[in-house]
Amino acid sequence: MSDAHQADAMLVQRIREGDTDAWGELIGRYEGRLLAFAESRLRNRDVSEDVVQESFIGFLNSLPNYDGKRRLESYLFTICAYKLTDHLRREGRRPTISLSSTSNTSGGDWQVPGRMRPASSIARSGERRQIEEESLVKVLREQVEQWRRRGDWTKIRCMELLFVRGRANKDVANLLSISEQQVANYKFDFLARIRTQVKKQGLPEEVFPDLYE
Amino acid sequence: MSHQFTEAELEAYLDEALSAEEMAKVETLLRSESDLTDRLRAIHGRRDAGVHSLGEIWRRHRVSCPTREQLGSYLLQVLEGEEQEYIEFHLQEINCRYCHANLDDLRLRKQEIEAETQSRRRRYFQSSAGFFDNQD
Repeated sequence: MSDAHQADAMLVQRIREGDTDAWGELIGRYEGRLLAFAESRLRNRDVSEDVVQESFIGFLNSLPNYDGKRRLESYLFTICAYKLTDHLRREGRRPTISLSSTSNTSGGDWQVPGRMRPASSIARSGERRQIEEESLVKVLREQVEQWRRRGDWTKIRCMELLFVRGRANKDVANLLSISEQQVANYKFDFLARIRTQVKKQGLPEEVFPDLYE
Repeated sequence: MSHQFTEAELEAYLDEALSAEEMAKVETLLRSESDLTDRLRAIHGRRDAGVHSLGEIWRRHRVSCPTREQLGSYLLQVLEGEEQEYIEFHLQEINCRYCHANLDDLRLRKQEIEAETQSRRRRYFQSSAGFFDNQD
């Protein structure tokens, strides 16, 4: 656990115990970045402050369910994103996507492509999904940290472009001024390594289709 | 037209995690392109089926984001060359909304500190000007 994560864990524990100073400390620590996050979309300081206020209240309400495994900052940003989305929908700026399809496509009925068993048969609890996600996060963080220590910045950039932005190998190659073959090699090595770690932890393959392209 | 956005970017849209400009572009396209709506429904469907997306997990948990301290050092331009360049890339190419929010907040705090520092120095100057004049 990093120092910042530990500090946050202690702060949250104090808040659970009813320490109002700790609550003030949390607000002081995080309100600025949450406000910047909301304001970048809303372009209105007053409304952004309302969204941030709702986010803090949302955090307090969710505290019994917050187990501290997820980093506090990410958790707060997620709550803020939900509150922001709600606000934008009420304003009519953000269209609501209904989950039932009215078109002829089967957009709402997702199935795992290829040889894996259908996703609809994968019945897992929310808790189980969270464990799977946390396991993968741990593996990914270790890999990125290793690249950082070695100064392998190209590999970090490459994976961010491929997975966070979903860019094609060719585009990644152009952006990073490396060959498409090199991108493919980096991707292959990375996925192979992650698959090995996922298998070691006994996690089911079919819930991570991206690892088995 | 909807294919200007990748699946990973549409996942980020659903999580309110694209840049403000990109979020607005998707919202504009949604009003006219049914295939974009279908693609978003498919992502919902995948999520409901409990299937994980590597990119979504990476982004949501900020796997490769610099820490706030590193962003502060970036702002002061005191990082080693390659790390400074990587953070520049993360902000400009990956366009990480969370890191931009942190950076905006750090810039504002830096300005506030500078304004406070200037104000404090003015007070020192004004309160000591009389003593300075008496040196002659």
